[in-house]
Amino acid sequence: MLDSLQPLVFGMLALIIFISAAFITFSRNLIYSAFALLGSFTGVAGLFAMLGADFLAVVQLLVYIGGIMVLYLFAVLMTSGIGDVRLTNRSIAVKIALPLALVLFFSLGKLIFETEWFAQQTVKIAPTTAAIGDLLLTKYLLPFELVSVLLLSTLIGSVALARQELRNSKENHD
Amino acid sequence: MTLAWIILLPLLGAIINGYHAMSCTLRKQKVITGMVNFVGVGLPFIAFLIALSQGIPFILGAEEPLRETLFSWITVGNLHIEAGLCLDRLSTLMILIITGVGTLIHLYSIGYMKCDPGYAKYFAYLNLFLTSMLILVLADNLVLMFLGWEGVGLCSYLLIGFWFEDKAKAQAGKKAFIVNRIGDVGFLLAIFGLGVLLLPGISEGASIFNFEYIESKMSLIAPSTIFWMSSPIILTLLLFVGATGKSAQIPLYVWLPDAMAGPTPVSALIHAATMVTAGVYMIARLDFLFDAAPATLNVIAIIGASTALFASLIAIVQNDIKKVLAYSTVSQLGYMFLAMGVGAYAYGVFHLMTHAFFKACLFLGSGSVIHAMSGEQDIRKMGGLKKALPITSMTFLIATITIAGLPPFAAFFSKDHILWKTYSHGHTVLWVMGLLAAFGTAFYMFRLYFLTFTGKSRVSEEAKAHLHESPFNMTFALVVLAVLSAVAGFLGLPEVLGGHDWIKHWLNLGAGSAKAHSAHDHAMELILMGVSVAVAACAILLAFLLYRNGLEGPERRARAMQPIHNLLTNKFYVDEIYDAIIVRPIRSLSQSVFFRVVDQKLINEVFVNGSGKVLSWLGSCVSRIQNGFVNRYAFYFLLAVSVFLGIWVIN
Amino acid sequence: MQVLDNAASFQYFLPEAILGLTLLLILILDLNKELSKSRLIAPWTAGVGLVLYIVVALALRVQLPEAITFHGMMANDAFTDFFRVFSGASALLAIFLSMHSKELEGVKIEYWILILGITLGMPVLAGANNLLMIYLAMEMVSILSYIIVGYLKKSRKSSEAALKYVLYGATASGIMIYGLSIIFGVSGTLDVLEIQKFLVNNPVGTGRIALFVGLVMTLAGFGYKISAVPFHMWAPDVYQGAPTPVTAFLSVGPKAAGFAILLRFTYTALAQFNPETGIFTPLKYLDITGLMAVLAVLTMTVGNFLAIQQNNTKRFLAYSSIAHAGYMLIAAATLSSLALQGVLFYLIAYFIMNMGAFAVAIIVINATGSEELTAFKGLAKRSGGGALIALLMMVFMVSLVGLPPTFGFVGKFYLFMSVIQAKLYWLAVIGMLNSVVSLYYYMRVVKHMYFDEPEDDKSLGLKGFVFPGVVASLGLATVVLGVYWGPIVTFVQESAQLISK
Repeated sequence: MLDSLQPLVFGMLALIIFISAAFITFSRNLIYSAFALLGSFTGVAGLFAMLGADFLAVVQLLVYIGGIMVLYLFAVLMTSGIGDVRLTNRSIAVKIALPLALVLFFSLGKLIFETEWFAQQTVKIAPTTAAIGDLLLTKYLLPFELVSVLLLSTLIGSVALARQELRNSKENHD
Repeated sequence: MTLAWIILLPLLGAIINGYHAMSCTLRKQKVITGMVNFVGVGLPFIAFLIALSQGIPFILGAEEPLRETLFSWITVGNLHIEAGLCLDRLSTLMILIITGVGTLIHLYSIGYMKCDPGYAKYFAYLNLFLTSMLILVLADNLVLMFLGWEGVGLCSYLLIGFWFEDKAKAQAGKKAFIVNRIGDVGFLLAIFGLGVLLLPGISEGASIFNFEYIESKMSLIAPSTIFWMSSPIILTLLLFVGATGKSAQIPLYVWLPDAMAGPTPVSALIHAATMVTAGVYMIARLDFLFDAAPATLNVIAIIGASTALFASLIAIVQNDIKKVLAYSTVSQLGYMFLAMGVGAYAYGVFHLMTHAFFKACLFLGSGSVIHAMSGEQDIRKMGGLKKALPITSMTFLIATITIAGLPPFAAFFSKDHILWKTYSHGHTVLWVMGLLAAFGTAFYMFRLYFLTFTGKSRVSEEAKAHLHESPFNMTFALVVLAVLSAVAGFLGLPEVLGGHDWIKHWLNLGAGSAKAHSAHDHAMELILMGVSVAVAACAILLAFLLYRNGLEGPERRARAMQPIHNLLTNKFYVDEIYDAIIVRPIRSLSQSVFFRVVDQKLINEVFVNGSGKVLSWLGSCVSRIQNGFVNRYAFYFLLAVSVFLGIWVIN
Repeated sequence: MQVLDNAASFQYFLPEAILGLTLLLILILDLNKELSKSRLIAPWTAGVGLVLYIVVALALRVQLPEAITFHGMMANDAFTDFFRVFSGASALLAIFLSMHSKELEGVKIEYWILILGITLGMPVLAGANNLLMIYLAMEMVSILSYIIVGYLKKSRKSSEAALKYVLYGATASGIMIYGLSIIFGVSGTLDVLEIQKFLVNNPVGTGRIALFVGLVMTLAGFGYKISAVPFHMWAPDVYQGAPTPVTAFLSVGPKAAGFAILLRFTYTALAQFNPETGIFTPLKYLDITGLMAVLAVLTMTVGNFLAIQQNNTKRFLAYSSIAHAGYMLIAAATLSSLALQGVLFYLIAYFIMNMGAFAVAIIVINATGSEELTAFKGLAKRSGGGALIALLMMVFMVSLVGLPPTFGFVGKFYLFMSVIQAKLYWLAVIGMLNSVVSLYYYMRVVKHMYFDEPEDDKSLGLKGFVFPGVVASLGLATVVLGVYWGPIVTFVQESAQLISK
């Protein structure tokens, strides 16, 4: 029952992701693009859920939609006049790009269908949170810690970039 | 590290003075003479002291060579070359000559080069020369020796062309460099040949070109062949080609007389005492290899004897004080090679040492004369300088007697040993040639002495006003060298005169010395000794009769023998012959083919202009790609990935 | 090979832990108002931390046997240790240059933290034994590089360079992770050594086309990091826009780390090593040597030919560094332990001469305020140390060309020799021809310095002995190691040991 439904669910999710991605790319209005991103993120969360990765699906929703999306929207809305910017997206010669994209699309598609993938046959629907927690503190401890160092440094770096901006504008006010 | 310091100290001097010279030239400042002197003379002197401290045990009889492996130099697969130094009796003798005579000549140069604008540069070059020469001598392997070999060639070039604003002098430098290069090819080929022979069976970690290693592998080298010829013969012939270049033997001697374009102390140090003897040293160092190649030894002996005679004949008619000495050097080097050729390596090295003393003394004396004469080098415009230059003339006389081979001065012993060995080895013809050369030597040297220092003065009034004895630092060097050239011969006092022939036993070179010629014909040796002294005395007498009163008489007689005189004045037309059969064909070939076609058409039009056009076309293409738009960049990234994928998947 | 768990692995990670702690220490010290006023405290702390890092790394190299640590995440072998020392040294020099550069006057502590962060990422990248670690370390180096390139907020060029770098880097890393996911999809494992096992035990070549695709995409990501043509396009713009010390750092440290992972991946995952003969054999159906050779030829040729046309010092050095990546790639294409040693050897040479050239560039930019190559005109005649600096620059240029008696010559010698031993003569010939081309543009700098007159009479104004002293010791090292490189060879031979199963 579930197995037969799966392709249908997958197709719908993929369609959502694809359409929103296209919208992000081709829309000339940043706010529209930002909202379209919402659809894309949701679709990915759906994919995770479908594959039984419940924790990741929720994290995807919380972090990407709840955090990153909102941040994006704030940034777009708070930056004055950004909606008026006519994006001069100098299109790459369509005559070359389109065939290239099509060739890539079809050859990768062919590849995906023809390859003998190493795949787990059955998807167990069970809570994964505990297992992920376990792995993060055992096998994947090092990547986990490194990510935290990376995030810390990036945080400091972004503060640096932003702070100088503030300092400058304050000087201007003075 | 002690041995390394002997090399490093002059190098340090070269770096400091070189940097000082460069920064002074660029900023147009004056050279700080005091510092240059301190560094340029002080460091070689310290090197001399170290050399002495290291050498004394060997002089006192130590036999085991002192080895210092500095570092592993080149490691490529199983080819392994270590930069190592080795001090044994032979190299002790050499480094003492190099640093000792070198220091004296540096000291002398302070006076000689006093007013030269390139003062610091001069000392930098001279120190660099010492470094290279010491590397050459101390090297424990052929490749490091070659490094020094090339280094001395470079310094020689730089110093011959020291006054490069004068076109002739710059040309002389180039000539020396190019002729030496011909010899170097021989040396290099010999190294390659040895590598080809030894590399296949090399044991792990052995330094392949190490002299000791080569010697231990002689059993492997001796029976082998290169191109169907016995490899020791091929290798030694190639090495000898290198030696003829560096040590100015027939046919590559032509650069040495021209090398006199350099400052006189340079002629003394490089073109008389040290560098030109590198070939002799190399043969002595590789005595085991040359012993295995009797055919080569014969070639060396013949070339040596011919050079000795040939050059001494040319020297007879030269009128430039330095040219006479230059040909004399060529001739004396011929003696050394004659010694090498008859297997009397120790005597060749002995003559090398005595020659270093007396020839350096002669050159420095001539430098003192030139200095006093404000640059005049023509002996026809000298005469009667004895009064003005008492010390110079005295030392010059001592050195002249020495080179003429009168007992008990040094060259008598060293030269006589060589002649005796030549005779006792059965090379009677070569012995006669050597004897004739000895006659010539005594004659032209005394001709030089009489014309310069005695008789009526032919000095121009202008020059007469400046005539002065040289300052102390110059005369000091002269006196030391004169004393050395007078007494150094006793190191090799022959057994027949009641001596011990110390130098031969001490150096202990070659297979011949091990055998100890027991069949010594003492009577014959004494007779020959008498003959050569008599020959020298005759020559001196002849020179005295002819030249004591200056030039008028001899010039008349020279006119009577016009053809021979012309032949000699023109140095047997060797330069002209080389010009006709080598230089001109090459030049016309390069003019007609290489310049007109290869250079103008192929390189200039096709490569240079063509590549320029292609480049600018390519540049415009690529700069269209590199246009600063990052979305384009991303596109090209993807394109490149796709292209690679495409090519690969198709394959 | 033994796979250690987290607790047993920690001792192997001690150097990186020191680096992380230094990073935190700088943050904490900055909280103190008195200390935060001093501009020197942060770089000095970073410097001390880095020295400690190098010392501990060298000590561990002797103390601990090689091992696979953190459940297979990292491979701690001599190769990783080499890049620890290399990264530490390059960061140390970058910090030193930053302290003496006018562009970076008055930088805040974040700058030093970013450098330390990048430095932490580099050895992890070099030792990564897991696709996840490869990606993570790559991002660690990249993301922090983006920020540091754009650190000069007031400079439009710097911001533009940072933005371009981000966009280009994102594309590259997107493609790379796509490739990594394909490799994972076929082999079913993230562990590099397990992947190799899978490939060896898969003689029929299941999913080989997919593996090809994944591999090319992954290599494109590596190619971006080492700025190999045609993945180099970010480099000239970024190198030109970034502060000069950052450019110096990026062209040496992260590039070396990129080489490290490229080599580790190709030598461990894509080749079979026979410990007895010491020969690496490429896997039958995944032979990338041809592809690497093409990349190498493209990289050095394009780099050299475009360097000729440059008039901006940093852009010129950027193309020169691209060309040098090409030389090193030719050895990576030959897949032999000699080539591995050759690349490590060349990296050391490249480190010294390139850092030296950048240091001189910083001096000249400081003095003249111009980034054009014409600023080098008459450098030898400038007062305030011009003669010395010009002499040093000449040494670096000669070494970059690869002429004796410099370290660059020896480095190239070993590279080309390994290629010749692999019988890839055409590749060696192209490499040498490229060296000839490079002679032209490097010597143009020398000509400017010695034969032209300066355009103004500004003094170089070098104060003190420290900065000129360090540059001079780089120059001295270039010459001395050009004659005496024995210990370096030994060090490199010991370092070219990769863990394999």
